[in-house]
Amino acid sequence: MNSTLRHLERDTLHQITRRHFLRDCATGMGALWLTSQGLPAFSAVPRRDSSKPLAVLPPHFAPKAKRVIFLHMAGAPSQFEMFQPKPELAKLDGKDCPQEFLAGQRFAFITGTPKLLGPVHPFHQEAKTGLWVTDRLPFLEKHFNKLCFIHSMQTDQFNHAPAQLLVHTGNQNLGYASFGAWTTYGLGSVNENLPGYIVLLSGGNNPDGGKSLWGSGFLPSVYQGVQCRSKGDPVLYLDNPPGIDRELRGDVVKAISALNQKTYERVGDPETVTRIAQYELAYRMQVSATDAFDLTKESAETHALYGTKPGTESFANNCLLARRLAERGVRFVQLFDWGWDSHGTDKKTSVTDGLSAKCREIDQPIAALLADLEVRGLLDETLVVWGGEFGRTPMRENRGGVEMAFIGRDHHPAAFTIWLAGGGVKGGFSFGETDPIGYHPLGEPVQIRDLHATLLHLLGLEHRDLTYSYQGLNQKLTGVRSSKVIKEIIA
Amino acid sequence: MSPRCSIQFIVWIGWLCASAAALALDPKTAPPIDFSHDIRPIFNKNCVGCHGGVKRAGKISFIYREVVVAQDANDDKPIHPGDPENSELIRRVTTDNEDDRMPPADHAGKLSEHDIGQLRTWIQQGAKWKEHWAWIKPVEPAPPKVSKPRWIRQPLDAFVLAKLDAEKLKPSPEADRAQWLRRVSFDLTGLPPTPEEIKNFADDKSRDASEKVVDRLLASPRFGERWASPWLDAARHADSMGYEKDPLRTVWPYRDWVIRALNDDLPFDQFTIKQLAGDLLPDATMADQIATTFHRNTQVNTEGGTDDEEFRVAAVIDRVSTTWEVWQGTTMRCVQCHSHPYEPIKHDEFYRSFALFNTTRDWDLADETPVVQVPTNEVSFAEARKLDAAISAKHLEEFAALTNLAARNLNWQPLLPDKATATKGTKLAIQTNGTSEVCTVGTVAHHSQFTIEAPLPAGITNLGALQIEVLPENPDAARLTPEIGFVISQLRLAIVTNSNTNNDEIKLAHCFGDEPEPFQDSDDSVRDDKSGWGAYPRLTQPRRAVFVPAQTTALPAGATLQITIAHEFGAKDMSALVTRRLRLSVTAANDWIEFSGSPGFMARRDEIAGLQKLRAAIPSVNLPVMREQPELFRRATATFARGNWLAKGEVVQPGVPKVFSPDSDGTLSNRLALAQWLVSPANPLTARVTVNRLWSELFGIGLVETVEDFGSSGQPPSNQALLDHLALRFQNDLGWSVKKLLREIMLSATYRQDARSTPDLVARDPRNRLLARGPRSRLSAEMVRDQALAVSGLLSDKMFGPPVMPLQPDGIWDVIYSKVKWETSPGEDQHRRALYTFIRRTTGYPSAATFDSPSREVCLTRRIKTNTPLQALVTLNDPVYVECAVALAARMQRKAGDDLRNQITHGYELATGRSPTANDLRTLEKLQRSALARYTAHPDLAKQLNGSPTEAALTLVANALLNLDASLTK
Repeated sequence: MNSTLRHLERDTLHQITRRHFLRDCATGMGALWLTSQGLPAFSAVPRRDSSKPLAVLPPHFAPKAKRVIFLHMAGAPSQFEMFQPKPELAKLDGKDCPQEFLAGQRFAFITGTPKLLGPVHPFHQEAKTGLWVTDRLPFLEKHFNKLCFIHSMQTDQFNHAPAQLLVHTGNQNLGYASFGAWTTYGLGSVNENLPGYIVLLSGGNNPDGGKSLWGSGFLPSVYQGVQCRSKGDPVLYLDNPPGIDRELRGDVVKAISALNQKTYERVGDPETVTRIAQYELAYRMQVSATDAFDLTKESAETHALYGTKPGTESFANNCLLARRLAERGVRFVQLFDWGWDSHGTDKKTSVTDGLSAKCREIDQPIAALLADLEVRGLLDETLVVWGGEFGRTPMRENRGGVEMAFIGRDHHPAAFTIWLAGGGVKGGFSFGETDPIGYHPLGEPVQIRDLHATLLHLLGLEHRDLTYSYQGLNQKLTGVRSSKVIKEIIA
Repeated sequence: MSPRCSIQFIVWIGWLCASAAALALDPKTAPPIDFSHDIRPIFNKNCVGCHGGVKRAGKISFIYREVVVAQDANDDKPIHPGDPENSELIRRVTTDNEDDRMPPADHAGKLSEHDIGQLRTWIQQGAKWKEHWAWIKPVEPAPPKVSKPRWIRQPLDAFVLAKLDAEKLKPSPEADRAQWLRRVSFDLTGLPPTPEEIKNFADDKSRDASEKVVDRLLASPRFGERWASPWLDAARHADSMGYEKDPLRTVWPYRDWVIRALNDDLPFDQFTIKQLAGDLLPDATMADQIATTFHRNTQVNTEGGTDDEEFRVAAVIDRVSTTWEVWQGTTMRCVQCHSHPYEPIKHDEFYRSFALFNTTRDWDLADETPVVQVPTNEVSFAEARKLDAAISAKHLEEFAALTNLAARNLNWQPLLPDKATATKGTKLAIQTNGTSEVCTVGTVAHHSQFTIEAPLPAGITNLGALQIEVLPENPDAARLTPEIGFVISQLRLAIVTNSNTNNDEIKLAHCFGDEPEPFQDSDDSVRDDKSGWGAYPRLTQPRRAVFVPAQTTALPAGATLQITIAHEFGAKDMSALVTRRLRLSVTAANDWIEFSGSPGFMARRDEIAGLQKLRAAIPSVNLPVMREQPELFRRATATFARGNWLAKGEVVQPGVPKVFSPDSDGTLSNRLALAQWLVSPANPLTARVTVNRLWSELFGIGLVETVEDFGSSGQPPSNQALLDHLALRFQNDLGWSVKKLLREIMLSATYRQDARSTPDLVARDPRNRLLARGPRSRLSAEMVRDQALAVSGLLSDKMFGPPVMPLQPDGIWDVIYSKVKWETSPGEDQHRRALYTFIRRTTGYPSAATFDSPSREVCLTRRIKTNTPLQALVTLNDPVYVECAVALAARMQRKAGDDLRNQITHGYELATGRSPTANDLRTLEKLQRSALARYTAHPDLAKQLNGSPTEAALTLVANALLNLDASLTK
């Protein structure tokens, strides 16, 4: 059996034993015991205390980023209408897709021989960085000096739910721990009065993969993301019910603590002590979370910057909330925006009108978020990730074998684009290339597990060492296949 | 001796022992080495990463004895029993040559002297290999000698006490009656004892007072409701299909079956057989079929563009993993891709298990076929089953007649089409290569309609029947990796001559398919609707059907037959269910017309219609169940290269891994054989894994902590003698009766202990693995809700039926592509036990999820209990709990009148099952006073909560009572 003490439950045993041993044996023997174990007395080795599962833990090495804001465009945005101009593809627009690209490939909806589809929106080079962008993202373009593109992303899933699971849990099947859960498991949570891992949704629907995308899988459920809402209580059941105000709630919590203290004295169960602490934390959270989610506290200038309207559910509001949460030390803020599945089955899902509308919804808020983080000195230590679960085909979708009324693209796992910003990555930088029609990466693609290894690395965590023993394996976010940190993108 | 000296002494002794082992003294005097305890951990930690089941560097694997232990002196395998100095293993771990030494410096590094000594002594002693403990059949351990025989109440207590004796610990005193009653009430029924039950028990001075309580609780219908929840976690039972759209499904009859089976104390062996293979039992009843929904709880992916075969395979893999986890405590997932990294389970053995589950008819279809129509009222089960069996028998009778007819030589003449066109842009080609075939070219569009024209074959002057054969594009591969299927929604036949302007349609009366009980009526292919005969959703082999006219039709010489084939079935966002290769032939013989016009045929069809009418009159719901494919269509199974279902390897036969079946090659014929093997005396694990799971529910931690993993990488049992005793007793003496086993545990001295702990004991045994005190743990998610409803008097005792929707905040159920809404159930359905709450996989009931209730997407045999601030917010603020507080306050007042102290005492007793201390009362009275003052000053606030300031203040007290540690634990 592996002797690492990472398994939380076994840690309890060691932790409590050690704590009590040290306490009960005063100084002499505890110190002696430690020395006899070859450990320095009062060892600096981080130990996990399961009674404080979210206590801050030191990273494995000096981190570049302290927290993550992950912007997931659920449905998979089209790289060809945003960041990948592909003049060759434009030239081949309307031609049959060569058979070499189709043999042995599986598609969600494309059948037979589809036609190639050039980018439908005009591209130009951003002035300072020389990076390409369409005319759909005028606000974001101004911050290209902060962005680090990866154009050679690859996944092996081509349906939304499994592909989103792969992006967020490292596995296309259900039951695995999400990236955010691994992060709070590995680093703990700085703000004791807020959840360490917060999830915000926009676009009118939950992402295809559902709650498992921010689940804790086999990790204890305390690490799962807490879905917060822009309408109603930001955290479920945060508000006191009508007729119980803050003062009365305080009285209740005080009475509960006093009675629980007596229970502890009588029964001696350490869980009771934890429960007392959790009730008091809940009471503090009622204020701190309410405050964190109160957008009316922002200035008119800020609202103008983001294009936010308090009291509604929007991606813009969520971007502003992400900044407020980052400021408060929340470790992991996960945004999902729904509506990026541009198949072209109707106007809303076309890469022409539909995608343009989605670009408008995110362009200004993301630009504002990046600018705002920078002004507040938070961008250097906050890693912003933008992307989808796969890319879109260089071919026009021909669902059911017929040309459709609107222009769309099918799911494309072989190559897609994401970008990172802040948190120790190079700005105004582009990594990875694809072939002239954007079908396959040229050279080694970046797999999702490579991205995970890289993101963990930026957080100061070695992906091979961030493990949890379950079902006889030291489980890792990056799974059992080998993965590599993309050093080239690190500043 | 001072503490300092004692530590030094221990360190010194330890060094001495290590040195002795390192020197590997005389094997006769050296203590015997135990492979499982001493050697396998060295291999697992240092060697199997490269020399294991996944990687076998240099073809060496320390998982399989035959690979590394030499047969004789000339054998070059690295371990020579009795001769460590000639064993390459010893040379490699001891050599100073860094290039040669194992493990390499950049891996585990040099072994410790102690480990090397152990290996050397083990080889000297003969290199005896022993299987991992869990794979050796348990043997009843001898009753141990104990310090205090009088403490023992049940045989199991002796094993607990022996362990405590060895650890120099004493059992705790017996818990007071209130504590034990609360514990046993929750453990058996999931509900707190009522004040009357507490009083009756306190007053019962008879010797068997405890026995009476346990028997009363075991007989309660609440028993099955309480124990259903952990089983439904393992069965990943939910009311929705999962994945992106997560549509709702009707599977509550299975949940009700589980409750009834538990209440009836269906022996666990039968419980196993019925759920894994109830459909294969001779004379399977309606209930037996319902039980098989266990493995239809797998997810179905209805997302557009998904491959039904891919997700069918995913469901089968889930069935394999779940079966092995639930019954064998063995993790099989990793064997999908490669041999087990540290257990002797080989890659192909996973697919032998897979083969056992690979022959059912379900195919990731949105309508969940195959289903059985389950009567909503259990009284109709027998009648419905009888009708189903009669209908099925009639269908099979007809199919047997058809098979005979199809075997007749009717001189079928192939049609040689000269024209073939299709709509919607699909292109057809006619290939003449021996036979004549119509096939699609390139892109196949949904709902394409084919029109084929062929001259009459010579000598055919009238039409007796038309036969269509549909072929896979690659018949050799289709059996293992099926192709996209087809459905002929309608086939029409007409005669085209030079003279007729309007084609003369030949009226078709029947389509007879080649499948005994198809999902769709073959005759639909001659009607104008969307369903019909075909291979749905996938094509695995050549198929054929015969189309029969109402009467013999004379065909004019030189005429052309025109065949129109419509493919209207199938959603546009799935693969086009269009025929891709077909051949046609005709016969002049009128055998088929005679057959379908015969009185016998028509009478049977009438009979079937009559039976179906009777069946339709029984109100029923469609329940997905397991059903085997007919023999003709049964899938073969091959291994998947690296777990990729599109890359098939060797074909395998169904069976179980060799390590679990040492006396045979592990071959099993089907699911029924598997189920019977699992509960046979030959199986070393089922009883152990089952009693361990029950134990973990009662004690908060299993005897094997890793309930889901009994393998060599799981935790070893804290008390193997106790585990084996319980397993054998359960399996043999108690005849697999869960109730009898629980009864013995509840009445044991071990379970009756006081849960109170001292700092010393917590330090010594923080998680109570030695059982020197009684169990204490937080209530499960279900119990938290049920208790609040019970003590406030709101709980409905209505059992069974469709799931219900209690209060839930708005906006939780925003699942894409789904219009279903959460609508709070009316009346008592709002206050049903948690077990009956609607479980939607992508969005669970939020307050239950906060208390660690799983999403039920995959099998879960161990819930890890957490303790978080979000839980506090639920029981403080969730409207459900506020409603309970209001009702509890009213109940406190009803019972105790205006006396505040009595009110609080009553409420406290309801919530915690024991009387408050004077101090507790003072704290709660103080809370009431401050609340009353505030509510008196702000009567509006009181009104918002609950009426008058007095009522509101008491409600606030009730709210606190529902949140006490003593209320939230058992």
